[in-house]
Amino acid sequence: MNCRAVFGQQSPVNASTIRLSIIPTFGAKSIVIRDSAFQAKDARNTQIDMLKFYISRIQFLHKGAVVLEEAQSFHLIDAAREVSFHLAVQNKRGVRFDAVRFHLGIDSATSVFGAMGGDLDPTRGMYWTWQSGYINFKCEGKSNACTARNNEFQFHLGGYKQPFDCLQTLTFPISVSDTITIQFDVERFLSKIDMAKHHHFMSPSADAVRLSAQAAESFRIVH
Amino acid sequence: MKTKIVFLLFFVVIGIAATAFRTSNDWLFVVPRGWQKPAYNFQQNPLHKQKIELGRALFYDPLLSKNGMVSCASCHSQYSAFTHGDHALSHGIHDSIGTRNAPALMNLAWQRVFMRDGAINHLDMQALAPISNPAEMGESITHVVAKMQATILYPRLFAAAFGDSVITGERTLKAIAQFMLILVSSNAKYDSVTRKQAVFSEQERKGYVLFKKHCSTCHTEPFFTNHQFMNNGLPVDSTIRDLGRFGVTQNPDDSLKFAVPTLRNIEFSYPYMHDGRFKRLPDVLNHYTAIGLQNRTKSHTLAKELQTPIALSSNDKVDLTAFLLTLTDRGFLFNPAFSFPRNIVFETAKD
Ligand code: HEC
Ligand code: HEC
Repeated sequence: MNCRAVFGQQSPVNASTIRLSIIPTFGAKSIVIRDSAFQAKDARNTQIDMLKFYISRIQFLHKGAVVLEEAQSFHLIDAAREVSFHLAVQNKRGVRFDAVRFHLGIDSATSVFGAMGGDLDPTRGMYWTWQSGYINFKCEGKSNACTARNNEFQFHLGGYKQPFDCLQTLTFPISVSDTITIQFDVERFLSKIDMAKHHHFMSPSADAVRLSAQAAESFRIVH
Repeated sequence: MKTKIVFLLFFVVIGIAATAFRTSNDWLFVVPRGWQKPAYNFQQNPLHKQKIELGRALFYDPLLSKNGMVSCASCHSQYSAFTHGDHALSHGIHDSIGTRNAPALMNLAWQRVFMRDGAINHLDMQALAPISNPAEMGESITHVVAKMQATILYPRLFAAAFGDSVITGERTLKAIAQFMLILVSSNAKYDSVTRKQAVFSEQERKGYVLFKKHCSTCHTEPFFTNHQFMNNGLPVDSTIRDLGRFGVTQNPDDSLKFAVPTLRNIEFSYPYMHDGRFKRLPDVLNHYTAIGLQNRTKSHTLAKELQTPIALSSNDKVDLTAFLLTLTDRGFLFNPAFSFPRNIVFETAKD
């Protein structure tokens, strides 16, 4: 059995482990969805019911060259499961690095590979079924700015085929440290969407590509 | 008294198969003589007798549907070449009607994309579509897994297949794919003739000549499909407005193109075409001889082979039909290994 089949299980941290945390936030506030949705208490009365996205192909670079790459690097970050925020990448050779790079989403080769387990298992609810492909990013909730029924919005972003390839690559410079924290600010992501016009994205499209880039821009490194 | 435990270390050397499509159990899947290498990568999902049996159980078990009434076999029955015998449009749970006719299932190991518009990119992932389609099984794979965990049957079948009783989406899909893969039809009279074990009647031989002249660019031997998407001149159905491949690619040049279906076992896979509009083979042949005459069917994507109507006399049609009937493979249609697993008692799901 694949060890990642135990959702969010972490390897023990030691000197040769890089701890990478991806923390979903609304502005500065951490988002945690437990039994109930996250309430932002902002002017639009934003509520986040679901926030899940894939981080994959984590690499560490030194002067622009890849010095370390995680094997089988597919992680579903789920605001409803705090354990999923904290990733541990083995650095057995103890290489030095000055940047981290990863994908937001699942690459095209993996998208056509067939059934896979762990965080890629279709029971995770991140696979489109009426046509093939992973959903890279899901954000669902409510906002007063949203003119849809019950003010509900649903943004499912994905698509691996041109011209609607939604995969994003993010690179962050880091001052050498084995503890890296990156935030995904959902407020920033939503602020760029005119919810009077758009409340549902459910399939690969030019809009999905544009929104995926906006999602990528909503990540920032904290330390 | 002190017991002594002796640990024995076994080294299992697994030879890497020489050819890409060799499977761990070669006899479970044989590439018929003269056929190309399958598209499916068996190394990612090596065939195993118990996995196939699990896949077969899943195929026949209505537990996969929301209301426990519809199984894959409800729409894909063996005696009609795994189509929805006699149904133009397939219906699923609560008698909801879908928008397409269930295609025949066979020789799927050689197919790269699935569905009449190619929306599905891998055989493993195909089963997710009917399971989640509200008009078909109306379920979710997550809930199907939970339902199976609550049975006595499935933990046992998964353990037999995978070595432990853990049930996952990946394992479920791979087992179903294994059952789909072994559905090989390659023993029709046509095949015996190509293997020089039988001869065509005069009528069949004439029909074969006509077939090669008019049909085989699309319905290419030995699969009787070129695995492409083509527009064969059917006028668009005004109620469903199914544009086929266009729905997947959004490319206007793909408008009204549908997967070229196999013609193997065509005698039993009626009704025909993506929406089951033709009930009998003569209707199909009459369509092919009338395409150019119906102006309204002229679309810019109409296949070049069909721009001018195919000329077939009524004798030709009889001969061509005689040839098409040589594609019937009774060994496939009545193979007990593909039928309902009588040794298994399905449980009703405890929700
Ligand atoms: C309600 C009827 C229905 C049920 C239930 C159903 N199918 Fe289908 N099946 C269809 C239809 C209709 C299509 C064609 C869909 C399309 O083209 O969009 C299809 C297509 C397929 C294909 C693709 C064949 C090809 O040549 O591309 C496979 C494989 C398949 N089904 C297997 C299954 C399996 C496995 C199950 C059970 C998990 C299942 N089906 C359940 C109706 C059904
Ligand atoms: C240009 C390519 C092309 C040519 C040439 C062609 N076909 Fe087809 N055929 C198709 C396509 C595409 C379909 C499926 C259309 C659909 O699903 O709507 C089809 C469907 C069929 C079907 C229905 C199969 C089923 O399971 O529903 C039959 C029977 C058939 N063709 C017979 C023939 C015969 C006989 C000829 C020669 C006289 C012929 N075809 C020539 C492309 C072609």
